[in-house]
Amino acid sequence: MNSIADRLRRIVRPATAHGVGGPQQGDESEEPDPSHGSPQSGRSHMDPAAILDGEWTQAGSHRFLVVDRSYAPGHRHGSVSIADSLPPEEGWSRLGLLAGTSCGGKLLFVDLETTGIAGGAGSYAFLVGCGWFDRGRFHVRQYLLSSFASERALLEAVRDIAGDVDAVVTYNGKSFDLPLIETRYSLNRLTTPFADMPHVDMLHHARRLWHGDDEGHRLSSLETSLLGHEREGDVPGFEIPARYFRYVHTGDARPLGAVLEHNRLDLLSLALLTARAAQLLDEGVTSAATAREALGIGRLYERAGMTSDALACFARAADMGPGVCPDALYAHAVLLRRLRRYEAAASAWQRLLDLDDCPSRLVREAAEALAVHYEHRLRSLPSARHLAMRSLLLDMTHARREAIEHRVARLDRKLARSEPALPALF
Amino acid sequence: MPPEPQEATLPPQQVDRVPRGVSTKGGDPALTLVLDRLTGGAVERPDSPDAWVTAVRRLPAREAQFGGDVAGIDDRLRDVLRERGIQGFYTHQAAAVAHALARHNVVITTPTASGKTLCYNAPVLSAVLRDPSTRALYLFPTKALAQDQLAELHTLSDQLSRRSDLEIGVFTYDGDTPQDARRAIRGRAHIVLSNPDMVHSGILPHHPRWAKLFENLQFVIIDELHAYRGVFGSHLTNVLRRLRRICRHYGSNPTFICSSATIANPRELAEALVEQPFELVSESGAPRGEKWFLFVNPPVVNQQLGIRRSYLAETRRLAAEFLKRKLQVIVFAQSRLSTEILTTYLKDDFEGPPGIRDQIRGYRGGYLPQRRREIEKGLREGSVRAVVSTNALELGIDIGALDACVMAGYPGTIAATWQRAGRAGRRSGRSAAVLVASSAPLDQFVVRNPSYFFDAAPERALINPDNLHILVDHVKCAAFELPFTTSEQYGRHDVQEVLGVLQESGFIHRADGEEGGDGIWQWTNESYPADAVSLRSISSDNFVVIDMTDGSDVIGETSFTSGPATLHEKAIYLVEGVLYQVEKLDFEGRKAYVRRIDCDYYTDAITYTKVTVLDTFIADAPGSHGEVHVSSRVVGFKKIKFYTNENVGSGELDLPEQQMHTSAYWLTIPATVMASLPFAPDDRRDGVVGLSFAMRQVAQLLLMCDRQDIGISIGSGNEGDSPDLTRTGEPVTLSDEPRIFIYDNYPGGIGFSEPLFAMDDELRRRTRDLIAGCECQNGCPTCVGPIGNTGPMAKTVALRILDLIGATHGAMEPSA
Repeated sequence: MNSIADRLRRIVRPATAHGVGGPQQGDESEEPDPSHGSPQSGRSHMDPAAILDGEWTQAGSHRFLVVDRSYAPGHRHGSVSIADSLPPEEGWSRLGLLAGTSCGGKLLFVDLETTGIAGGAGSYAFLVGCGWFDRGRFHVRQYLLSSFASERALLEAVRDIAGDVDAVVTYNGKSFDLPLIETRYSLNRLTTPFADMPHVDMLHHARRLWHGDDEGHRLSSLETSLLGHEREGDVPGFEIPARYFRYVHTGDARPLGAVLEHNRLDLLSLALLTARAAQLLDEGVTSAATAREALGIGRLYERAGMTSDALACFARAADMGPGVCPDALYAHAVLLRRLRRYEAAASAWQRLLDLDDCPSRLVREAAEALAVHYEHRLRSLPSARHLAMRSLLLDMTHARREAIEHRVARLDRKLARSEPALPALF
Repeated sequence: MPPEPQEATLPPQQVDRVPRGVSTKGGDPALTLVLDRLTGGAVERPDSPDAWVTAVRRLPAREAQFGGDVAGIDDRLRDVLRERGIQGFYTHQAAAVAHALARHNVVITTPTASGKTLCYNAPVLSAVLRDPSTRALYLFPTKALAQDQLAELHTLSDQLSRRSDLEIGVFTYDGDTPQDARRAIRGRAHIVLSNPDMVHSGILPHHPRWAKLFENLQFVIIDELHAYRGVFGSHLTNVLRRLRRICRHYGSNPTFICSSATIANPRELAEALVEQPFELVSESGAPRGEKWFLFVNPPVVNQQLGIRRSYLAETRRLAAEFLKRKLQVIVFAQSRLSTEILTTYLKDDFEGPPGIRDQIRGYRGGYLPQRRREIEKGLREGSVRAVVSTNALELGIDIGALDACVMAGYPGTIAATWQRAGRAGRRSGRSAAVLVASSAPLDQFVVRNPSYFFDAAPERALINPDNLHILVDHVKCAAFELPFTTSEQYGRHDVQEVLGVLQESGFIHRADGEEGGDGIWQWTNESYPADAVSLRSISSDNFVVIDMTDGSDVIGETSFTSGPATLHEKAIYLVEGVLYQVEKLDFEGRKAYVRRIDCDYYTDAITYTKVTVLDTFIADAPGSHGEVHVSSRVVGFKKIKFYTNENVGSGELDLPEQQMHTSAYWLTIPATVMASLPFAPDDRRDGVVGLSFAMRQVAQLLLMCDRQDIGISIGSGNEGDSPDLTRTGEPVTLSDEPRIFIYDNYPGGIGFSEPLFAMDDELRRRTRDLIAGCECQNGCPTCVGPIGNTGPMAKTVALRILDLIGATHGAMEPSA
């Protein structure tokens, strides 16, 4: 009879991992001989601290690697320099608009590299990248988990530096980074420092300010389009866990060099994008370079109750270009109506209706709003009826169609009761 | 359906007999009348295997037995129970509650409707009232059962909330729970109602989010424990190993309260599943009315072919007997199809009076939940007079207590039969249960040997949690959830060896500990391993069935082992009575493409199976038990006409061979026995084939397993003997010393062969009883197989072989 191990070898299929045989591109020079792939046999004796240019932090019997970098004011990331992006001494004044709550100016930029994206107790952050502005420079500190046993100590260290900041800034942290690291804290029975901290998730703001709905919203594509930075030899995201696993199995830290650099670039881009958004908000509508930026900050102002700034933004966005014009007019009209500035709202609705390329959902909204306006405020029944009839031509849900037919019927009753039929106005 | 001899009345000798045997005292006169008609008034009578009613048993009424007060029950709960008319605990409730409150694991086996849920709700609610941080996890084998319990618990918790400031949170958490509700449930639930599958893939891997639950987990309730046998049970043990591992991490040590139908080994099963000692509470103190249990065997209509009158028609007539006397009745059918057919029949029988058709309902999985709730309510309130159900109503859904239960066919196990019979039975007054046998071998055996059912212990539930295939999957899941330490144990095998192999494959990495302390095994894989493991099968490598009739809908799934035999090209695939034909089998992609078809036949695959003995664990002639290699290949198929079972065509197939290692029991027929048989070689072969056919039925009965759980093959078992390929139980040639193999039909084995080996004598004795007791002349589907398959001498030769083996080994007593 076979030993259990032999029987098991027939059952267990080898783990599959992306690029586990080695990265497919770039930095070949750093790669170990592929024949050293098996565990133990090819363990490198080169110190990861030396390879990655970091320092070991000892915490009790465990240690993890800390890699510090600092970027001088003159450092350029694409077309933007650190100096261009520094916050004012007292911090950006309208940062709270990005966080959705008022907060102070000390920011911690956080980006994790993880062993998987499926979530659950077995997905962990092997690299916690933190960044912050201080005294004219941008600092990055990366915590590398060298063995699982030191996770608790690593998390405590992250908690220490997160302890005295006012807000955390991430890219997609709401649904990925923060829940994942919260799970790690809770697994180690520690309280997470991020639970009640104001949080700026730049993914959502970036969509508003710089991208339409369909375009890619990856940080790296924003980095190129907005900051003008092209990465060279960047490690593709799907390859990152396998590189870490190889380090775990062989002790060879060389494949991680590119992963740490990738993480640093992400943090730099995140910081500079955040700075751009915060500056826009502080400087107001005149600094908006595109209609989309104007519309985007307008919405943030509106949400914060800064209605006059918001109206200015919407008006400017509507004038700046055709792309976002319907959305801008719509936002403008809705806000004006809410402010009970009905005349101004009606003219915005009318402008919307007069657009050549107005999407039909907005035509519906505009026609209905104007119909209400004519029927109830201007008491101009024929115009109201005309608008209602016009909107009946559009595709719509059954319920909505019924509502409009109801309106037409009511208008007809009112018209019959009033004067002899007036000639149509349109 | 086969053509039925139509009879409007019962056999003449039983009609219009004046009731005398069954006393009307204290019982329902209408029920008494029906029982009298069925038994011919002869109540206390011996079993008569050849009669229409083969057995009549009266189970006497029993008074309620109340246990004393149980210390530790919260006063507010006591008040609520009193308000609901519960004056005290029955003895079994008191015992179970006392064990649970003393933090002893307890398993309760009491009949349906004996107040079993209070056995676990009382200690759990008391504990929550005393300490609101208390948490409990309830596991049900189906989502429907969890929903049923949710309603019950909500009523209790609402009443309790009015007496305390405490809002007791009770929630189901399963695949239907909306994503946005999940966070709230994790925070607010005192009691979480779930199922093992959800715990496995949705809760344990995310345990940090459930930290509050695991830190405070005081009770784990496992309802319907008997459902966890075989593969499902083996998986559950591993899920519970992982659960307890996580509890240890969070510092809790929950008490387990399990409830089970009556099986032979409830304590053993509980201890095997939870791997902790258990107290057993098996004596019910609930009151019970008198119950009659009858076995009915439809009469033989063709002696030579051993064909009996249709059991469905018989069931229909019996159910109508109860129904037309205004008795509320539940009918259990064996399949969804026969459920629908019987429902239609009964509705047709009561065509006349307006409204009565609507009082007769069908019930099965696949009905929308709303409709099911409506039928359950109708049954409780009496507006539904008859329900025809699959086993969906066998489990503990609350439908109240009915007057009579008619079972169309033997449910397969003693335990399930008692469960179904328990659906009829009021706490006072009389009830009846009638089992109508089909012509299947198991049914015939049971109905002709009533003492097997009434007097023997019910089945043992068997599991094998250390099956390596199952174990490895769960070790991966466990390693994902929390790293193993280098000294940790898990299961019966050396888990460190398992972890070593997982490291070789890259799933985990061993990190040495500091200064001689334990190291840990770190998970080094991107996957979410629970997703790849299904608890209801041994491998998630299943074939999916895709209906291409209108678009492409997935309509079913079939395990990897049975895929080729049921999904080969041109196979007829049945779902709820709808016929599909397989157009293409993508073996590599594990997909079968089917299209709806209208035809009058089904298909039966021809499989060649070869068993090679790898290792004999124990041989105690003529039986043995060991590890075997099974290779099988589907080589063709037959087309069989519905109803007449005529062979109307065939086809050849070329499908890849399937191989597995598993464990097996085998019976060796010594060369001397074979040589001494005074029959022609073909007849000898028929005898061995017929014997294997009958042994399979009896093995299934003894093991309490499903038909597909075991496989059968005949051969020498030797590596080199290539001509020993067997064809669905039909050897092409016969070895000098043939062996009949009964193997576990799962890679790695699921624990059937060892107990079967231990029951070797009983297996042969009961096989002999089955063959000798069968009324057919030369073999039928009830004993050695249909005569067309096995030849005219099969019955005789098979009996002779058994007698000769018995004589050789002295273990068999010739049956009278």
